[in-house]
Amino acid sequence: MDVTERLPIPPAPPSESALRVRARRAGELTANVLSNPTTLTGLIIILLMISMALLAPWITVPNTPDPTQMPRDWGAIAVPPGSPGHPLGTTNTGGDVLYGVIWGARTSLRLSLIVVSITVTVGVAIGSLAGFLGGRIDEILMRIVDVFLSIPELIFALAIAAVLGPSFRNIILALAVVFWVKYARIMRAQVIHVKQNEYVDAARVIGDAPLRIFGKDILPNSITPVIVQATLDMGNIVLVGATLSFIGLAEAGLAEWGVLVSEGQAGISAGRWWASTFPGMMVFLWALAFNLLGDGLRDVLDPRTETSR
Amino acid sequence: MTIKTTRGRWRLLAMLLALALVAAACTSDDGADTTASDDGATTTQAEEDDGGDDETTTTESDDGGDGEVMNPGVLVHAADDEPTTLDPAQVEPGEGGETVIFQAYERLLEIADDGPDLVPGLATEVPSVENGLISEDGLTYTFPIREDVVFHDGTPLTADDVKYSWDRVLEMDLPESAAGALGDIVSETRVVDDFTFEVDLQVPSAAFLNTAVVAMVSSIVSEDAVEANGGIVAGEPNEYMQTNMVGTGPYTLVAWNRGENIQLEVFDDYWGTPANLDVRIEIGPTPDVRVLGLRAGDFDTIEADPSFIGEIEGAEGVTIVGEGLTVEPIHIALNLNIPDGVLPEEDTIPTDFFHDPRVRQAFNHAFDYQAFVDGALGGFGDFNPHYIPQGIFGYDPTAPVYSEPDAALAEELLTEAGYCPDGFTASVITEEANLFETAALVLKDSMERLPCNITIRVLAVAEAQFDDAHAQDPIEYAMWVKNADPFADPHAYLSSYVHPDGEWGEIHGFRNGYEDPDRIAQLIDDAEVELDRDARAELYAEVQSLLYDDPMWVIAAQEGVVAAYRDWVQGWTSNPLWPRPSLKFALMDK
Amino acid sequence: MQIRDYVLRRLLILPVLIVGVSIIVFALTRIGGSPIGIYLSHEMSAEEVAELEARFHLDEPIPVQYVYWAGGVLSGDLGWSGVAAAPVTEVFPDKLAATMELAVASAIVAVTLGIGLGTFAGARRDRFPDHVTRVVSISGAAMPLFWFAILLLIVFWVYLGWFPIGRSDAQIFASIPHPTGLYTVDALIAGNLTAFRDAVWHLVLPALTLGYGATAIIARMMRSSLVEELQEDYVDAARAKGLPERLVLRRHARRNALIPTVTVIGLSFGFLLQGTVVAEIIFRWPGLGRWMADSVLRGDQATIMTYVLFTSVLFLVVNLVVDVIYAYLDRRVVLGT
Repeated sequence: MDVTERLPIPPAPPSESALRVRARRAGELTANVLSNPTTLTGLIIILLMISMALLAPWITVPNTPDPTQMPRDWGAIAVPPGSPGHPLGTTNTGGDVLYGVIWGARTSLRLSLIVVSITVTVGVAIGSLAGFLGGRIDEILMRIVDVFLSIPELIFALAIAAVLGPSFRNIILALAVVFWVKYARIMRAQVIHVKQNEYVDAARVIGDAPLRIFGKDILPNSITPVIVQATLDMGNIVLVGATLSFIGLAEAGLAEWGVLVSEGQAGISAGRWWASTFPGMMVFLWALAFNLLGDGLRDVLDPRTETSR
Repeated sequence: MTIKTTRGRWRLLAMLLALALVAAACTSDDGADTTASDDGATTTQAEEDDGGDDETTTTESDDGGDGEVMNPGVLVHAADDEPTTLDPAQVEPGEGGETVIFQAYERLLEIADDGPDLVPGLATEVPSVENGLISEDGLTYTFPIREDVVFHDGTPLTADDVKYSWDRVLEMDLPESAAGALGDIVSETRVVDDFTFEVDLQVPSAAFLNTAVVAMVSSIVSEDAVEANGGIVAGEPNEYMQTNMVGTGPYTLVAWNRGENIQLEVFDDYWGTPANLDVRIEIGPTPDVRVLGLRAGDFDTIEADPSFIGEIEGAEGVTIVGEGLTVEPIHIALNLNIPDGVLPEEDTIPTDFFHDPRVRQAFNHAFDYQAFVDGALGGFGDFNPHYIPQGIFGYDPTAPVYSEPDAALAEELLTEAGYCPDGFTASVITEEANLFETAALVLKDSMERLPCNITIRVLAVAEAQFDDAHAQDPIEYAMWVKNADPFADPHAYLSSYVHPDGEWGEIHGFRNGYEDPDRIAQLIDDAEVELDRDARAELYAEVQSLLYDDPMWVIAAQEGVVAAYRDWVQGWTSNPLWPRPSLKFALMDK
Repeated sequence: MQIRDYVLRRLLILPVLIVGVSIIVFALTRIGGSPIGIYLSHEMSAEEVAELEARFHLDEPIPVQYVYWAGGVLSGDLGWSGVAAAPVTEVFPDKLAATMELAVASAIVAVTLGIGLGTFAGARRDRFPDHVTRVVSISGAAMPLFWFAILLLIVFWVYLGWFPIGRSDAQIFASIPHPTGLYTVDALIAGNLTAFRDAVWHLVLPALTLGYGATAIIARMMRSSLVEELQEDYVDAARAKGLPERLVLRRHARRNALIPTVTVIGLSFGFLLQGTVVAEIIFRWPGLGRWMADSVLRGDQATIMTYVLFTSVLFLVVNLVVDVIYAYLDRRVVLGT
């Protein structure tokens, strides 16, 4: 969701040092975030998921030669949870569901981190450029952004991944192409607002170089909504990515939640609910957690809410 | 404030409640107002699930199933995918359109209901040298045409229609079609009189009747209907014929609701034994929907494959058939004709990788056949020697077969060839989400298990992308997985898949690998013209034994024929030589 | 800015955006795979492949191909759909009707539930119901549709047998004519209640699946704008006049809070459109979404191109309309207060 309209531009009090301001604000922010039970829940789930992702090689024996691929036990096809060696059962190709759930977290973390870093970098760069320079460049860049925003994101990603062919790398690529535009738009709006502030004028009067003004005054004061959006996107990207792999655009045998749900779907009629239920729940929890956190951050950063608290 | 919103909440609750009530009311209605078949479905479904939950068979639901046949008068078949065309001159072998063409059109000869033999179709006799309908030189075939046959449009069938139908295929010569099955053999067609049709062949062929005459592409269409709707244009599909069917078969096409169903109706003026039931082919339900629909009784027959047939086991009122084998072995191609620099960048193998017979043997020894047959095929399948499928004339049951993986031997062979323990990376391309992908995964696991530092990348791509890659010559991948096209004659298999100068022999450069390519070529060529059955079989046996040590494929398995249908269906018959799902709807009743 | 100018500006940009989208779409199809891949088989010779390529102008330079394609699109030729085995234009109307019927049904679910939930939560800000509603509505946004749909399928089709899948019962379908392709409307036109019930019954599960996700978007917006409105001076003024709280809420705050909510209805429409792809696969709904998914898996480029182009144009137009309505409403609000 686009947060441009909802977020304010925090004014920078000139008396305090920027560092202290930021430290103080970070402290308040943390306190505010932690005081909200739903946000806290989100944060806890995220921490659990990330620990699971990071500790995956120690929780389970990594598959060789490629641990991101499901290990398959051809002697135990579609066994139910609780079977020896397969606590959460196996899929139709003997893939261990528990392994998929745990390494799926790693896959999702990798996916969302890569896509978010690419899209934030590109989006912020283009948005800042457009907002900071204005004029013709702004006009052209924003038209391009508008064109990209005209295609609903899942459909766009689906089409890109479809022409590139099924693979995890292509899913990353497709999501990156789709998700950067929001940041460009948010950043541009922010930069334009911040640019008009007095302290920016002041810096300009002192004779600071444009790049320095941008780095010192504009970027730090524009980045908050980008962070909120990035938090939400950490969840959304996994959601859309899993949807793509559910439809069949991930590579064969990848330890990924959407792939597992898709594989498990075939067994539902025979009562084999486990292969799709567990991984599907993971996607849900992952997206839910980041949405809760993002939502909480937005509330906390929103002064209209803040003043009333 | 609280008052207002409390009311709001009540309103919400009331809404939900109302919804639930309506739902309940409507389900109970079903029991009351009887006849509509959909209602029956819902009821039976519910009963069955009650029984199924605790794994007990309640007699109640059993009675319900027997007493009440759902969708009376209509046979509902759940098919795998949608036809791309209903025109015999355009349909691709193995494609969904063949299912329908097989029911609504007829050919001069047909494959019998109970085996591989040929029986008269629109011709009244099967040509042979003995009955004089094949000339002594084996070049001219005469077909006496059945009289009193009418097309769905009411026009009578004559030899002109037959000639017209065949000529039409040859003239249109659509690249996507199987026109080659006729075009590569036939040199001339002739109408002798109203009910006699003659064909001259380019060379004698023991396989002509089995590969060309019974093929869907050779179906007989109404000349009048085609001429009235666009006629024949070389190289162009006929739009009318893509969606309309004017044949002589026991069924007429009523409607094709794209993405939903195809409806066929009994053709009253059919010359032979008329069909019993109208047919509705439900298009493209995913396997789980097919299974659930069959369990619920919404479907009478479903197109199944071994990968999910196990899910129907134990279902009330359903018969599962798992007998016999398809004649389309699932094979992994080993490419011996790789130009420089075309392989995916991850691949580290040299272009002459598979020229070395030890490497090909190693792949054959490493593959975990049992895992594929028992795991992926659920036990419905068997091993296959190179290359004649079981059930086809010439199959040698004593030929050596790769069926037990021997990892130590595979490792040894690779070590000798210099690929172990340094290892390699190679990619195998396949269509996604089907048995071919599973075969590729088994190959991956089998090879990577060797202590040789091997990586096999499985590229499972969309059907169109696979077809694209597969249609290249040379192919730009080291390996690919698919199944063989079905044929009724051994020569078709060997010339396509084994002969060094045959279709795949050329594309994959078999001459770069065979120890004695000329010997193999000679054996196959000799067998083609050998009219003595025993002598022919011996030649084929020799080819099969040679291929064990000089394999050009890894044959994962010959897939079992599996099918499932409701117990109330009578006369269910299947023949793997018929187009999939290997069913003739006209034979069934319920 | 005057509303007229605003609308004019937006209308002028629209064609630019559509051309931009069409270029992206066209570019996509030339990046990967072959546009004729679906027709190819290994039996074809090089000449036959070349023949096919010539049939589709693939032997021309790329910009020329774009012109051919764009010209075709403008003259109503959207190419041949390999998946549907027919020209795209021939199949499109039926599938569109199916998808629109589903989208509208889902939108009804989403708007009703979304506004209801949003009001409920907004009026109880920071209290327990608010937190619950928040989790429920955020769950909607975080719910993987493909998973939710499977859960509904298991419960309501497999176990309870309450609702069917697919779009209609074949015999009921055949019993009435279908002038509009919207089965509910067709049934009403025919005055056939059985058919109407059948159509509605088939709609329930997919519409709930889709509607739930969009509900979240609307509920969230409704809540926050209601919270905002409740802090406005006019609300205090109304309270000061002694107006009961429920009237304050209903007559003033909720009505005004609905206005910004209109903006997200456009957004949630995009959500619904995307969701149809997944919901239609799982519930066997014969609409554009399932067609698209099949096309993606089989590399049917004509369909993919048409679908992306069409949904984008639709999405643009809906958003334009929504924005114009909003601008209009907003002005009235400003004038009113």
